[in-house]
Amino acid sequence: MNRIFWSIVGKELIGFIRSWQLVLVVLYMFSVEVYIAGSGIEINPRNVAVGYVDGTAGGLSQKILTHLHGPEFLAPRRFNSQRELSRAIFDKEIIVGLVFDADFEKKWRQNKSAQLDILMDATAASQAYTTLNYLQHIVLDISKVNIPVDIVTHKLFNQNADNHTFMALTELLSIITMLSIILTAVVFVREKEQGTWDLMLLMPVNPKVIILAKSFSQIIVVMTGIVISLGFVVLGIFNVPVNGSLSAFLLLSFFFVFAGSGIGLFIAAVARDVMQVAQLSIVVMMPLIFLSGAWTPIYAMHPALQYLSYISPLRYYIEGSESIFYRGTEWIDLWPYFMGVISVGGVMYWIGFRKIGRLF
Amino acid sequence: MRIGILKAYIRKELSELLRSRLIIMVYLLPTMLMLLFGYGIRMEVTHARIAIIDNDQSRLSNLLVGKFEHSKYFDVTTTVMDEDEALRKIKQAQSDAIIIIPASFEKRLLKGQTTQIGVYVDAAFPSRGSTMESYVQGVILNAASALIPSAPKGSIVINQRTLFNQAMRDEDAIVPGLIGLVLLVAPAIIAALLIVKEKERGTIFNFYASPLSKAEFIAAKLIPVFLLHSINIFILLLWALYLFEVPFRGSFWIYWLASELYILVSISIGILISVITRTQIVAVVLTVMVTIIPGFMYSGIIMPISSMVGMSRYEAHVFPVMYYNHILYDVFLVGEGLTSQKTQLYLVILAVYVVILLSLGTLWLRKEIR
Amino acid sequence: MGMLKIDQVSVTHNKRRAIKDASFSANEGEIIGFIGADGAGKSSLMHAIAGVIRFEGKISFQNTIYHSPSEAQILKSKIGLMPQGIGLVLYDLLTVGEHLDFFANIRDIRQDDRFNEYKNRLLRMAGLDKFIDRRAGNLSGGMMQKLSLICTLLHRPKLLILDEPTTGVDPLSRIELWKILDQIRCEEGTIALVSTAYMQEAAQMDRVLLFDEGEIIAQGCAKELIKSVQDMTYVRKPFTTPHSMSTLDTTYSLEPLEAEHAEPTLEALFFVNALQKNRILPSVEITPRDGDTSFSSVVMEAQGLTKTFGDFVANDRVDIRLCRGEILGLLGSNGAGKTTFIKMLLGLLPIDDGELNLLGKRIETAKDRQELKSSIGYVSQHFALYNDMTVRENLHYFASMHQIPMDIAIKRIARYSEELGFDGYMDAIPTELPLGINQRFSLAAALLHEPVILFLDEPTSGVDAIARAQFWQLLVALKEKWKIAILITTHYMSEAEFCDRIVLMRDGCKVADDTIPNLYTAHPNAKTFEEIFLEYYR
Repeated sequence: MNRIFWSIVGKELIGFIRSWQLVLVVLYMFSVEVYIAGSGIEINPRNVAVGYVDGTAGGLSQKILTHLHGPEFLAPRRFNSQRELSRAIFDKEIIVGLVFDADFEKKWRQNKSAQLDILMDATAASQAYTTLNYLQHIVLDISKVNIPVDIVTHKLFNQNADNHTFMALTELLSIITMLSIILTAVVFVREKEQGTWDLMLLMPVNPKVIILAKSFSQIIVVMTGIVISLGFVVLGIFNVPVNGSLSAFLLLSFFFVFAGSGIGLFIAAVARDVMQVAQLSIVVMMPLIFLSGAWTPIYAMHPALQYLSYISPLRYYIEGSESIFYRGTEWIDLWPYFMGVISVGGVMYWIGFRKIGRLF
Repeated sequence: MRIGILKAYIRKELSELLRSRLIIMVYLLPTMLMLLFGYGIRMEVTHARIAIIDNDQSRLSNLLVGKFEHSKYFDVTTTVMDEDEALRKIKQAQSDAIIIIPASFEKRLLKGQTTQIGVYVDAAFPSRGSTMESYVQGVILNAASALIPSAPKGSIVINQRTLFNQAMRDEDAIVPGLIGLVLLVAPAIIAALLIVKEKERGTIFNFYASPLSKAEFIAAKLIPVFLLHSINIFILLLWALYLFEVPFRGSFWIYWLASELYILVSISIGILISVITRTQIVAVVLTVMVTIIPGFMYSGIIMPISSMVGMSRYEAHVFPVMYYNHILYDVFLVGEGLTSQKTQLYLVILAVYVVILLSLGTLWLRKEIR
Repeated sequence: MGMLKIDQVSVTHNKRRAIKDASFSANEGEIIGFIGADGAGKSSLMHAIAGVIRFEGKISFQNTIYHSPSEAQILKSKIGLMPQGIGLVLYDLLTVGEHLDFFANIRDIRQDDRFNEYKNRLLRMAGLDKFIDRRAGNLSGGMMQKLSLICTLLHRPKLLILDEPTTGVDPLSRIELWKILDQIRCEEGTIALVSTAYMQEAAQMDRVLLFDEGEIIAQGCAKELIKSVQDMTYVRKPFTTPHSMSTLDTTYSLEPLEAEHAEPTLEALFFVNALQKNRILPSVEITPRDGDTSFSSVVMEAQGLTKTFGDFVANDRVDIRLCRGEILGLLGSNGAGKTTFIKMLLGLLPIDDGELNLLGKRIETAKDRQELKSSIGYVSQHFALYNDMTVRENLHYFASMHQIPMDIAIKRIARYSEELGFDGYMDAIPTELPLGINQRFSLAAALLHEPVILFLDEPTSGVDAIARAQFWQLLVALKEKWKIAILITTHYMSEAEFCDRIVLMRDGCKVADDTIPNLYTAHPNAKTFEEIFLEYYR
């Protein structure tokens, strides 16, 4: 039994290595794709484009403007009239416009309340929101209001709120999902297309062994990719902190890839050719990735989507991985994630055995 | 172009799309993407699970807790526990932030002494962490200034006017951008398969051996997808207007014209991929790679183009999604229409894309075995 | 003038010279046969003439000269091309009627009364008029080829290029195909270039071009060509000399032999050419098997086996018995239910009704099959092998699947590769190999575990004459040395003569089951087996 298992695994690995295009795509995904996501996608408001109209002689207005600096803001652009300013907002050249009236400074010097008009393009809601927050702080700061409350904030786990490491990790997890599903599905469906399916069915071998061995070979491929990506990109370039145990992450990854290949097995059982695999995978993967909490916290989703997210193994995997890397959670506290991933994987294999196994 | 030939090809493509289950993809995928992203992506943080450790249990501390409880942003649990236990809860990802009110909170405040409030925020998801931090600070400062009746001398009042999206709804900000993403991905995937499928199957010989010209062949492949996806323009508009309740301030005709042009761009990208690839699976992967990621990055959903610097700024101008999304946000939220020169210019740019991409496709298409 | 002139045409495909300096010409109404082994360059030359592949040299047709596909563009409305592969140019999801409309429309044919009459005549000739609304994907192979042919004829081409239109097609459909072709060709004065693997078909053509290794090595009418090899053809001699090759009934030798001369066919050209180029395949020697040969005398008995797909009855109460040491030929038209039957025997399709005994054991559950899998060998229609592994790796994989101990496996693989004559290709990928080699190596894979029953589904389709002759010698040797039972399907009626017994199927029913001599006695008018076959279908 052992020999059969390893021959199948070996055969599939040889097949994978020989199709160099596939090897290239997988390598690309695990390296360049992770790197692009980590260095390119920026969710925090950065470089917000600001414009202003200044009717005063300067002074207070300039003092406020000097507070608007990088990395959050681009250097403010001056406009001559309010019309020009709003034109620029309409053309999406700037997002925030500040209008300092002619009597802005005068009123402030006279101890009256001076009014600062702010125009904001709220189609970029999060940028607009942060900008407003910033301006409020600046204004409070300048007008030296004394509030006797001192807020001491500790950002836990990712002190600089560094977005790059986070995006790189999230992208890696999404890629793992994608590849573990597609590679496994293709391994099975290719046999249908090449006509070797019948041969496989005629082997005097327990079908469960064939299914397990075939998917195990792809688990090996993905796990290798994970190790490469971790070593060179995630830890090498982005320096993602490892507050927890790396072996816990690898073990969790293993079980997750197992669950993912279970989904691939399910797709293979339903699909007839590679074309259908591609369609089904897109239809299955999109919700999986977006219900996982990778982009939006689960509790902020629509309640129906929240319930759906329980069947997404990626949900457990992402929360678990975040906990391991950032929160430094201990082994014992990781059990819900392991349970989640393993049970989804188990159910998928059970369905796969029944659907494909019956054909044997 | 011979109309009869085109009609024959179009009829053939349409019946194939209908009879294979590919038609489900044409209508399921855009709607699915729209609903998933529309309901799934939230930039603002609501229902953050926050634990307040009130060591003071005084009137003022209760007041502060009340402020948090009334905020739509937070789901508050008030507990008495020690700091270690609270930190443990964050580690287990059971709460997102902890606020610790010191025992002497009220006493010190009334004496006019400064008192410290400790805040711990889970920043494992960094942007969420930063947003939560500013929300928490906002609530505390707000509460504090209400409690302290001191009248400062000179003050600046901020008079903010939010344009286009007064209620600052996430839906209004995201959904128009989503249409731009969906209409880039979905038509391209279908179009990418059309020619490569014939190559894989062998039916491409019918084209090789027939008097059909290359331009006619491309047109024959383009038109069916174009017609089918034109319906999606309206389906997506209906979702946006009635499900996500996004306002529509511009001209419907501009929306329609721009969307049809944009679909042509997307199909042309797909056809170009179909021309250069040999197998369906490579075509699908390539299409996903060149549409989804740039479509998302340069759609303006995550980050406005005006905020981009360096390479990404140029890249954003290379991908068509930026131009279409500008027009989209205009028709939904702004409503300037053709009075804006930028809209006019961008419509022309979209048309130029169609011409360039289709010419390239025709140029690279081989009417012979390779 | 409808002259076709091919002048020094060469085609390089995938960096390989597919055909070199081919020249020939054809007159209006002529039909020219292309014959040769697979990979000899027939298809490439056809593609060049049809203007669908780049070539060097010059082709002129109807006084238009072209050197490239784009120059050929203006002639395309006069050319009809049917590429190799069953149903290759058909769309599975479109119906027969829709195909005709589509092909007429993309060639911009005026659909007037004259056209409709012509179209309906073609449909009637092809026997497809009753299936206008059936989807192409549900047609049998023979029907697909007939549909492809009439689609190619719709625009009345003046130059018709057909690449192996009859490979994998049953005799009846082949006769119908030729009838359509001859009638239209004569009416329209069309030049037809047809490649074929059936030498009887080639013999009927005006002229034959013999291809070998990318060159045309002989051309002329069939009689002349046959005459040229008459001196080297003898009645089969049991022994071989270094310069001779034998099939089951004929021996070819360059040196004079002391034997009677036999009447050669076009196939003789292949053998003589191989001998002249010193490409002599090793003679077949099969050593006795490792395992014992004592097993029950009736290895397979099917009684009332029935399979239905919806309303369609694919197999209707079929009774077939297969004995030890017997080659049973299962013949029938495309879609008669041969493959369905074999798949039921193998358990790839569930049996709807009837009783099946394998090796004296009644098959009822999947578990019964599991135990018998190691006694059965199977070679499918497409020689399905793993195309990402070398021949050696494939064989090792099959060996471990059957849990053959490593040392025995290595010995057996070495022995088979030598005896079946593919030891020179052990480290090649199957797709790079000629079909004939693939076929033998598929057989080796099916024999590794020393089965007692062998099921072969069209193992000789698309394989050239020499490889086919070798294959049959192998099967006969296996039968004699190993005493195994072989069930084989084929469309080459000449091969049927090598079987011990023939079962004929028609529309899912068994219509004949007898030995060859008995069948000849029952049909005294028949000269060849093909004629016997056709009598059952008339």
